[in-house]
Amino acid sequence: MGSIIHFANSIFNPIIALGAAPVMLIVLTVIALLFRVKFTKALEGGIRLAIALTGISAVIGLLTAAFSTALTGFVKSTGIQLSITDVGWAPLATITWGSPYTLFFLLILVCLNIVMIFLHRTNTLDVDIFDVWHSAFVGLLCIFSGANLFIATLLVLMIGVMKIINSDLMKPTFNDLLHNDNNPMTTTHMNYMMNPAIMVLNKIFDVIFPWLDKFDFDAAKLNKKIGFWGSNFSIGIYLGVFIGLMSHQDMKAIFVLAFTAGTCLELFSQIGNWFIKAVEPLSQGISNVATKYLKGRKFNIGLDWPFLAGRAEIWAAANVLAPIMLGEALILPGNHLLPLGGIIAMGVTPALLVVTRGKIIRMIVIGALELPIFLWAGTLAAPFVTHTAKLVGAFPSGVPKGQMISQTTMEGPIEKFLAYLVGHATSQAGMYIVYALLAIAGYILLFIWYAFQMKKRNQAYAEAKANS
Amino acid sequence: MIKILTACGAGVNSSHQIKDALEEEMKNRGFDVSCEAVMIKDVTEEMVSKFDIFAPIVKPDLGFEVAIPTVDCGPILYRIPVMAQPVYDQMEETIKGLNKK
Repeated sequence: MGSIIHFANSIFNPIIALGAAPVMLIVLTVIALLFRVKFTKALEGGIRLAIALTGISAVIGLLTAAFSTALTGFVKSTGIQLSITDVGWAPLATITWGSPYTLFFLLILVCLNIVMIFLHRTNTLDVDIFDVWHSAFVGLLCIFSGANLFIATLLVLMIGVMKIINSDLMKPTFNDLLHNDNNPMTTTHMNYMMNPAIMVLNKIFDVIFPWLDKFDFDAAKLNKKIGFWGSNFSIGIYLGVFIGLMSHQDMKAIFVLAFTAGTCLELFSQIGNWFIKAVEPLSQGISNVATKYLKGRKFNIGLDWPFLAGRAEIWAAANVLAPIMLGEALILPGNHLLPLGGIIAMGVTPALLVVTRGKIIRMIVIGALELPIFLWAGTLAAPFVTHTAKLVGAFPSGVPKGQMISQTTMEGPIEKFLAYLVGHATSQAGMYIVYALLAIAGYILLFIWYAFQMKKRNQAYAEAKANS
Repeated sequence: MIKILTACGAGVNSSHQIKDALEEEMKNRGFDVSCEAVMIKDVTEEMVSKFDIFAPIVKPDLGFEVAIPTVDCGPILYRIPVMAQPVYDQMEETIKGLNKK
């Protein structure tokens, strides 16, 4: 056994020493080949991932360097400890894909989906390979918090089962929101794992504030009015100016901050594009294999959430919640995240849409109530994100030690707390085991209650359809 | 050159999948197309007016009437060729209906 380990190390250590970008080029290319992707396509995907990692590192460096002085000044002049920069989803996705573990979690989740289909536990075939990174992030955070790979895998699988079940539970609601019973679109997206908690608040709303529904407004009209002012780069500029003023920078420095922020937010989105192209050959390869083995069966197809992006309520709520989020970030105890890249809450509003079925006032009120969970989860995950960013060489020298990066509205905030607790339970035992078990029990029980509510809703849909 | 506008949540994942698929397939069918992918929240009447065809995942409520032809392209995301085929066929018919080169 020792000689086998020695042999494996002699092969792998020189590769790992190359750094994240070359490692992932090799790993992604090899796995795509295993899924029968043509060599040129597989290699193309690997190279694109390598340059996405390189690009993300460069832009994180640019943003962090620009904000370092201002954030230090911000803390000094306001006393508010907002030392974590919100870089939005693209850096976190790319950094997560910078770990070979992500491909491991991808493979087990694909196997899980196929097993559940064969056992007739789900009708959803999940082709959203891209968003596996949310689950992988939970697994990696669990490992970072002290768990071994086996324990982290169990957690990822547990959440994976529930996500797939959720995609079936939500399907009739998607039909309703899309006014279409004839398409197979559904999703296992992590953002909808907030549904159980939102459902609790929605029920409370039914009891305490039902009269607020009268004030619902036309979401599309609001979106049209906002227009350009809601774009990535203009948001970067507002926040750059805000931070510059609050940290008493001079006028020139404020302009530099504003334009750097606007630039970085745009660049993050563009590099996100490279990253998705990188994963594309593997995604198609996996889907080809899966659909080949599952012939003759009618499926719902698990997509990324944006098949709902045409619902105007998603954007109206996100726009209204943005300044609310900034306010909450400033006053919330335990939060150290300064909203920036994630301030347009795309990780929050799709779940609000599904549970409230488009009631915009409810979406805003419930959204405002749940944002603290996201801010705390983002703060909790910041050491892991920053550590991983450094591993891919994304941090410039000279940045104060307390400066970190994370995301304000990343999907799966409750799952991050589970990862933290499970990780600490594994490595520190003691009361953490109790906390972890209680948290998991609460999580499962809440989901069971939610599933019951959704089945009642789905039955009502079925009866309405039968009567029409 | 036929200019197609597609849009999704972040303007990155789903819409780029649609963009790449449309460009490849329509070129294979002999059409000269250029497809742009954006965030759906950034879609304005002015933006739409610069394109020939709108290709969303699902027809959205943008708060204004879309003056150009719309083809729902969601099935491209299923990654199953037989389900994407009708979308390409409809896109081809729409392109021919434009009477434009």
